[in-house]
Amino acid sequence: MDASNITFIIAAYTVTWIVLLGYLLRLVRKGGRARADYERMAQQRSGEKSQ
Amino acid sequence: MSLKREGKLTSSTDHLRDTQAARPPRTSNWLAFVSFAAVIAAQAYAILTSPADADMGHLQKIMYVHVPAAWMTFLSFFVVLVFSVRYLWRRQENDDLIAASAAEVGATFNGLTLMLGMIWGRPAWGVWWVWDARLTSTLVLFLIFVGYLALRAFTEDAQQKAQWSAAVGAIGALNVPIVYMSVKWWRTLHQPPSSPETLDPAYTLGLRINAIAMLLVLIYFIRRRYEIARLERAVEHMAEAAAMGGG
Amino acid sequence: MAWQDDWRRVRAIARKDVTTELRAKAGFNSVASLGVTILVLLGLALGPDAEALRNAAVGAVWLATLFSGVLAFNRSFQVELESGALEPLLLYPGPRWTIFAGKLLGNLIFLTLMVAIVVPAGVVLFGVQIPARWPSLLGVLALGVVGLVVLGTFYASMASRSRAREVLLPLLLFPMLVPVLLAATTASKALLGADVMHEAGAWIRLLVAYDLVFLTATFIAFEHVIEA
Repeated sequence: MDASNITFIIAAYTVTWIVLLGYLLRLVRKGGRARADYERMAQQRSGEKSQ
Repeated sequence: MSLKREGKLTSSTDHLRDTQAARPPRTSNWLAFVSFAAVIAAQAYAILTSPADADMGHLQKIMYVHVPAAWMTFLSFFVVLVFSVRYLWRRQENDDLIAASAAEVGATFNGLTLMLGMIWGRPAWGVWWVWDARLTSTLVLFLIFVGYLALRAFTEDAQQKAQWSAAVGAIGALNVPIVYMSVKWWRTLHQPPSSPETLDPAYTLGLRINAIAMLLVLIYFIRRRYEIARLERAVEHMAEAAAMGGG
Repeated sequence: MAWQDDWRRVRAIARKDVTTELRAKAGFNSVASLGVTILVLLGLALGPDAEALRNAAVGAVWLATLFSGVLAFNRSFQVELESGALEPLLLYPGPRWTIFAGKLLGNLIFLTLMVAIVVPAGVVLFGVQIPARWPSLLGVLALGVVGLVVLGTFYASMASRSRAREVLLPLLLFPMLVPVLLAATTASKALLGADVMHEAGAWIRLLVAYDLVFLTATFIAFEHVIEA
């Protein structure tokens, strides 16, 4: 009983960390893309204005 | 990137002025480190100090992640409710983006809560799932979150997205207590409710520490998601302005 | 009188919706046929044991109503969207809520007609014995249908204008209808049996409260939804 419970406890903490780190990774990727788009767009805009 | 429908040009230029005046903030990373370090520390403390429970043995340790995750779910949905109503009231684009960010993070915690509940239920009750009031209403809450996010994903126009999801968010939140009550009645009238989550006072300190650590993660996630949403929105506005000016 | 003008508007919209749906016939007939088809499939999936079918009857009838009703709600806004008639409707003088009320009334009539076909079909196919207290069963049915129509019409006003409306409407609507489904099925089952625990009354009160809460909330929220 106790030995199998350990499996479930490990499973619970593993799932927790997979979800937390997985979401963090998603944010980092999405954030990087959004930042790059933003910088590119801002540069384009300032280029147009100076012409 | 969405294209505004014609006839809404005035409102889109208003948005444009807002976002250009306030340049999207740079992402702050210190909160990421602090919050994740706090979770590691809190979990280490709780696992090392908690005694084996009389009934549940070490299984009780799952509660240190399950219960905080559930609290964060409800907190996120509360944020969605507050900022949805505030958006309908003041019509500030940022309120909509905060509500949307909280909904996405909340759905993540909601999914986690459900998975942890099942991992608890299997050894504790012998089944993965019980149609208990708490479990069932958490599942329904997850489905409402999913519907909210799907509505946003399937709507192009920024204003439609904001107004519709605010209405869906507010009305969905209104339904949560009714769902909980109805499932509770549905169960109790036929079978006694299962209440496994009665906690020994020895666990409450560990639980509280873990909840605070998880709260820091929640705040970090929502803030970060919100910053990304602001950036994306700013890009959309710039693209529209370029299309209008250049065309 | 202002309220008479409003009422005339509501009626006009409802009448237009119901007549176009019924005149086209394809709309109503196919939705009602779908309801009966779902009942047949459920009967095949759950049968052939007569006792099991009788126990499942209430749930089957409600699921058939939900699944076929969802199609009706999307249709109610689709006609305007395809003909571009929604914008002129919005420019019409008079308060916006009358549009919602008109759509609501139209859908209510449409669904009542549909339920009038699906419920007898369910009674026959699932071998339900009609109890002496059938008027209260009809009351439960009516309260459930009102809840379904209120939220269905409200969500359809958004979903029908988005991409992927076929999936989006049930995805938004069904989780919201959990209390209606629970209350209507449990109350109906209690009324079909002896209602030993006297639970039907509590469920009927829940249905009334649900209908009132969401009728108010959707009327308030509709203004924000339709203008976008």
